[in-house]
Amino acid sequence: MAPLLEPNAGFKFDNAKRNQLLSDKGYMVPTATKTGTTIVGLIYKDGVVLGADTRATNGSIVADKNCRKIHYLAPNMYCCGAGTAADTDFTTSMISSQLALHSLNTGRDARVVTAMTMLKQYLFRYQGHIGAALVLGGYDVMGPHLFTIYPHGSTDKLPYVTMGSGSLAAMSVFESSWRPELSREEAVEMVKDAIEAGIFNDLGSGSNVDVCIITKDNVEYIRGYSQPNERVPKEQSYRFAPGTTEFIATAPAATANDAAAMDVS
Amino acid sequence: MSIMQYNGSAVVAMTGKNCVAIAADKRLGQRALTVDMGFDKVFPMTNRLYVGLAGLATDVKTLHDRFRMHVNLYKHREERTIAPKTFAHMVSHMLYERRFGPYFVEPVIAGLDDNQQPFICNMDLIGCPNFPNDFVVCGTADENLFGMCESLWEPDLGPEELFETISQALLNAVDRDAMSGWGAIVHILTPDGVITRELKGRMD
Amino acid sequence: MAALKPGEVDLGTTIMAVSFDGGVVIGADSRTSTGTYVANRVTDKLTKVDERIYCCRSGSAADTQAVADIVKYHLDLYSAEHGEMPTVKVASSLFQELCYHNKNNLMASIIVAGWDKQNGGSVYEVPLGGSLHKRDFSIAGSGSSYIYGYCDKVFRPNMSKEECIEFVKNSVGLAITRDGSSGGVIRIAVITEDGVERQVVYGNQLPLQYTG
Repeated sequence: MAPLLEPNAGFKFDNAKRNQLLSDKGYMVPTATKTGTTIVGLIYKDGVVLGADTRATNGSIVADKNCRKIHYLAPNMYCCGAGTAADTDFTTSMISSQLALHSLNTGRDARVVTAMTMLKQYLFRYQGHIGAALVLGGYDVMGPHLFTIYPHGSTDKLPYVTMGSGSLAAMSVFESSWRPELSREEAVEMVKDAIEAGIFNDLGSGSNVDVCIITKDNVEYIRGYSQPNERVPKEQSYRFAPGTTEFIATAPAATANDAAAMDVS
Repeated sequence: MSIMQYNGSAVVAMTGKNCVAIAADKRLGQRALTVDMGFDKVFPMTNRLYVGLAGLATDVKTLHDRFRMHVNLYKHREERTIAPKTFAHMVSHMLYERRFGPYFVEPVIAGLDDNQQPFICNMDLIGCPNFPNDFVVCGTADENLFGMCESLWEPDLGPEELFETISQALLNAVDRDAMSGWGAIVHILTPDGVITRELKGRMD
Repeated sequence: MAALKPGEVDLGTTIMAVSFDGGVVIGADSRTSTGTYVANRVTDKLTKVDERIYCCRSGSAADTQAVADIVKYHLDLYSAEHGEMPTVKVASSLFQELCYHNKNNLMASIIVAGWDKQNGGSVYEVPLGGSLHKRDFSIAGSGSSYIYGYCDKVFRPNMSKEECIEFVKNSVGLAITRDGSSGGVIRIAVITEDGVERQVVYGNQLPLQYTG
């Protein structure tokens, strides 16, 4: 039992052989939740604006209608994620904890390039098997920064970026209207337009627009900045009268924490 | 055929007003052959927290045992029972640890937190969590369940109303799924305790 | 052998470097593509690895960035340990070492160019298998196949700095128009003892050529 209780880092592969066998026998390995996604970012006069839609899909099923795709990295840094949902969640949260330790060690806010380098080196190490496509934005001592990071570990530094399946729709908005030194209102509106272009023109993207505005000493995270797909309220109710469903009452099963199941006193 | 369809399953959880319900079918099959009509897929972790596991039955059993071990270890170490949200993150990390050789299981978690507020959560097989405020579904009947829940669920249902809604959603979903059914079990978690009921379903 | 993995970012690319008495001129297009989509139209493929040493990257964006970052780290360490700047030969050997030992996992074809005290301006080429070749001038990337003939015809040893710049502009310009994977602007860097001078030739200022 002892080895099970020791903290151990890294991925485990104990199921890999069995799963390979099942796969060889013709049982398809199921797919993980993807975020079809439109994510964008742009630099404006005083900082960076990040934007994302809120749809997560599993094949053609909408797995989550209002998921969070703008992830926290550090007090001055946020990161939009596209691709395999679990990978974007875990990659950003792991890098976030490393950044917290880094700034505790150095006594300074971490720089955006530091986060970018940590992310690209991590993703490069896994050679694209960790399917996280990221838009990283933040503000540090060197000013505002915006990067895209691809699953294989390549990075780009640009004043306006888009990623995910809706990136083409969103980029068409930026390419036709972006200019340097945008005001805050113009920038947020443009990000909203870009995400909405993805929501309406890309089937993998949908629901609401989240935005995150990062300036020198302030972050404003707005969940559902625009909600163009609110559900129409139901005119009538499907509520069933008590007694509709026939049942037999049984005693609840013993819980893991019941004294009968295991004495933990 | 996907390995997730091998044994067949349907699991659903719904929130209500100060209560939460979780339900699952009872069938265990080997592809089209029905082997067991009383196979548990929903397990109590604490008396305020249930977990439902849909997918490959061998992994359902394995994960149930591992969850039980970790919940007990948590109680030893922390001298308190695990909160639903904490448990959800534990499950999520246990699944993501096997990112490149996963358990073929999609969990559904339902519980009441310290303020008696409902908590529901589901994950994909590599642990990407999803915390909606209405309902979660998984298993071979997930598409049917999505349809049923989207139309039947409404906010602030009481325990009895929630029981009817989740039961009708599940029974009608599994009737159109060949891989799940054979009756169902429903747990309604309320601040006063857990109500467990067994439902009769089609046996074909 | 090395190949681009599905969905990997490709540098498409035309890159080149020419040495002259007292330095080198390097140039590149600016297109980065994922399949048929241009992911970045203003990429800088001329990457600094030391004060007077640059590399021109072609192949997989992820692989070449990773290799360049590692070489940069080793060159910084070299300067700190030796108290003097590394030579272009040292830099190119580092690239060669990394590209050769990881040849089965890398898709990187790199030109290393720069200036050092011992040898003046020099150009080295590290193609796909991880070999190392010293060159008077070098071209690489998908676009280079369109301009081999032109470059062999036009190149003369002992050209002046200005002639080298014109040579790079014309060559990369020709490659950009014929190669679908190359495009955008022409980025140029002139590396001499005095420093590094960067230039950009925009898409509408490309040198005159036959376009039908």
